[in-house]
Amino acid sequence: MTGVATMRRPRSLSEAIDTLAASPGADLLAGGTDLVPALRTGARPVREMISLRRIVELRARGAAGDWLTIGACATYADLAGWSLAPGLAATARSVGSPQIRNTGTVGGALGTASPRGDLLTFLVAADAGVVVTGPVGQRQLGIGRFLADRHGPDELVTAVKLARPCGPQTYLKIGARQTASIPVASCALVVDRVRRLVRCAIGGVASRPVRALAAEDHVAETADWSTGALPPDAAHRFGELVAEAVTTAPDVAGDDVYAPAAYRSHAAGVLARRAAARCLAGARGADARRP
Amino acid sequence: MPATDTGSTPGAALELAPGLAPEPTVSYQLRVDGARHQVHGAWLGASLLSVLRDTLDLTTVKDACEQGRCGSCSVLLDGRLVASCTVLAADAEDAEVTSVAGLRPSGPARAVAAAFVREGAVQCGYCTPGMVVAVTDLLARRPDADDGEVREALSGNICRCTGYGRILAAVRAVQDERAGR
Repeated sequence: MTGVATMRRPRSLSEAIDTLAASPGADLLAGGTDLVPALRTGARPVREMISLRRIVELRARGAAGDWLTIGACATYADLAGWSLAPGLAATARSVGSPQIRNTGTVGGALGTASPRGDLLTFLVAADAGVVVTGPVGQRQLGIGRFLADRHGPDELVTAVKLARPCGPQTYLKIGARQTASIPVASCALVVDRVRRLVRCAIGGVASRPVRALAAEDHVAETADWSTGALPPDAAHRFGELVAEAVTTAPDVAGDDVYAPAAYRSHAAGVLARRAAARCLAGARGADARRP
Repeated sequence: MPATDTGSTPGAALELAPGLAPEPTVSYQLRVDGARHQVHGAWLGASLLSVLRDTLDLTTVKDACEQGRCGSCSVLLDGRLVASCTVLAADAEDAEVTSVAGLRPSGPARAVAAAFVREGAVQCGYCTPGMVVAVTDLLARRPDADDGEVREALSGNICRCTGYGRILAAVRAVQDERAGR
């Protein structure tokens, strides 16, 4: 990039795409909750910036058929009371503080892709799709693929897609305090009572949220799917398998100032067991079927 | 106050962008508390907080953590409670910024400020402007907020003096007063 950095403030998505095509790789500014403090400390340099704040179309959210679509500039506050997506709403409500929830966006969470990000962990458990848009149009990537490959320098995240919930979902975390505190470990659990499976993601323990596949399979095989109940010994084993998945994750975080690695994997197992108790308690959970 | 990893002092924003020559600067207008302010040649990376305090000298907005965690810099941006340290000033050009000094006198703001003083919710006072903005925002939306809602609404505003008991008492006093209790 040459010359002095500037900021562009497009008013529409098509204008944003043209602007990005003219300065590929520019920093995309959404809520600013990550970028602005990082500019302040010098952790990130001031580069060419494109603000997405004025693009109203990116704030839309809606439901069509079996899918929920959330615009990249929807804030956590926009999602915190959304009855169609209770797991997403619970996750959004647990993020930061009221000030951060009013500012931070879904697209920002994906752009920063903090391994401790609350929303990112939930989106991994929900097996979300990420819609990216560039000069040649839009394409949808699975969340795993998005985190591995990101998007091109001339593309931006424009939306996230989630399957409509088909069962209970929850998001639990452990941190120094509940508010505005980076979680030491977190657990998102999504139950699909129609397909008779669960997906579980653990945040804060590796460079990106970890899916606990063996633990998921264990639940799929041992739950009573007619009632949605998991027997207590199976729930206990689920917690153990989640802790194991954390310990054996390829790029697991070591001891750091927040917690020793052993505490993290232990905490992940405990959170997973609690999440199972909430979501797989049997008949009580039946009212959380497809709305 | 959470420590920053730079060991920096508040207000030193312009010295903390190393290796950038020339500094990218930008000029724009900000609307704060109903008044238009021209900002000339500000650093492009400056937060709304640093422009309000250091450029426009509006020091009722307090500066503590600069990480969006403590709430002392809380303002309303187009009517929504935000931490001004997480907002890029140049991106607030067409927004309405409301600090504690610009809260509508017809709303709960005056009663909130008076109750803070009366109930001992102000000790060192540094968190108070942000607290008053957050409480006013809450009571304008949810006049009958229960204790849990009040605590959640204020969870982004850290006070290191009061232990929060006097602040909660002040909020309840305003609620009682406005409900004629």
